Amino acid sequence: MLRRTLLLLTMLAGLLLIAWSGWHNLRQSRSVLHLRPEDRVDLVPDTTSTASSSASSTTTQSSPLRGKPAPAFALADLDGHTVSLNDFKGRPLLINFWGTYCAPCKIEMPWLQEFSKKYSSSGFEIIGITYDAEVGKQTIARDTQQLGVTYPILLSDAKAEKDYLSGTDALPMSFYVDKAGKVIEVSAGLGSKDQLESLVKETIAAGNE
Amino acid sequence: MTRTQLTYLSIALLTLVVAATARVGNSQLGIMDDGAAKPRAFVLYTAEPQTVPAARRSVLEVRFHIVPGFHVNSHTPNSQLLIPTTLTLQPSAGVKPGAMEYPAGKPYSFSFDPGDKLDVYADDFTVKLPITATAGDHAMDATLKYQACDNASCYPPRTLPVKIVFTAKLH
Repeated sequence: MLRRTLLLLTMLAGLLLIAWSGWHNLRQSRSVLHLRPEDRVDLVPDTTSTASSSASSTTTQSSPLRGKPAPAFALADLDGHTVSLNDFKGRPLLINFWGTYCAPCKIEMPWLQEFSKKYSSSGFEIIGITYDAEVGKQTIARDTQQLGVTYPILLSDAKAEKDYLSGTDALPMSFYVDKAGKVIEVSAGLGSKDQLESLVKETIAAGNE
Repeated sequence: MTRTQLTYLSIALLTLVVAATARVGNSQLGIMDDGAAKPRAFVLYTAEPQTVPAARRSVLEVRFHIVPGFHVNSHTPNSQLLIPTTLTLQPSAGVKPGAMEYPAGKPYSFSFDPGDKLDVYADDFTVKLPITATAGDHAMDATLKYQACDNASCYPPRTLPVKIVFTAKLH
């Protein structure tokens, strides 16, 4: 009799556990469904609670482009001329996506300008591709002039963004292309000037074989 | 142990196994769902019903929460090249709005350029909206435009639809 009671109690406990799991699952599902899609976010460590940055860094990305030929593009520059990737064939190249609203982009662009001069004897070139081309050439020209940028500034299009950015809209984003036209590195976010220069040197040295 | 007891024992064990499996299944589903989330909005708003006196100037508070890890330019960023946070109201019957008051921002600089001080909102910020309203329930539509960054990257300007809900009561 005692054994049978114990068995029945065990079964009852199991059934209660099933019921609790079902209720918990339902509540969790409802809370997830309650969130509107635009309210669902990936949380990242809070580094701004004191309103100061402590650990900004370029992160090299696991981009599907790494190790592959740089996708072809033909984009308009600020004078209306079409500039294509093919125009830079055989040269080490840095393709930098930036935006007029992007403060970290504007920190690194004068550094890129410096590198474009410093390494020009190696054939090194930089192209800036403006992500928010819709702001207009006048605004873009004003910004690049204030930043002292003289390397080519092109206006982005949907194809270039699809081919290079793979759905992300975080800026700055840079693609390092060797002489052979292969993407050897991809970086996102603001890094140190030294980090950027190392990647430039790596790009110049690569693709010699 | 009799055959009946063995049957009971088998059923009890099976029940426990099924219950434990159901719990594990729930946990895995939660992780998968969390992993599928993508950053879409950086500022969140939840309508908080407020009550103000009717036919008298009063101030509504419109509170926003910034997703941890991000900041947005304040209403007065320190550069004309940056996009300020602005709240734009749609006309609403029975409500006469005054000039909005934005909070002061906090100084912020990217670590690789400490000399360049930006002016940003982080965590939470509240826009104060003076209004004079007729008695009754009101729902004003508005749009918050902002541009967000984290500690290394920036994201295109976004807009957030806002509904400001309040009741104006006669005293």
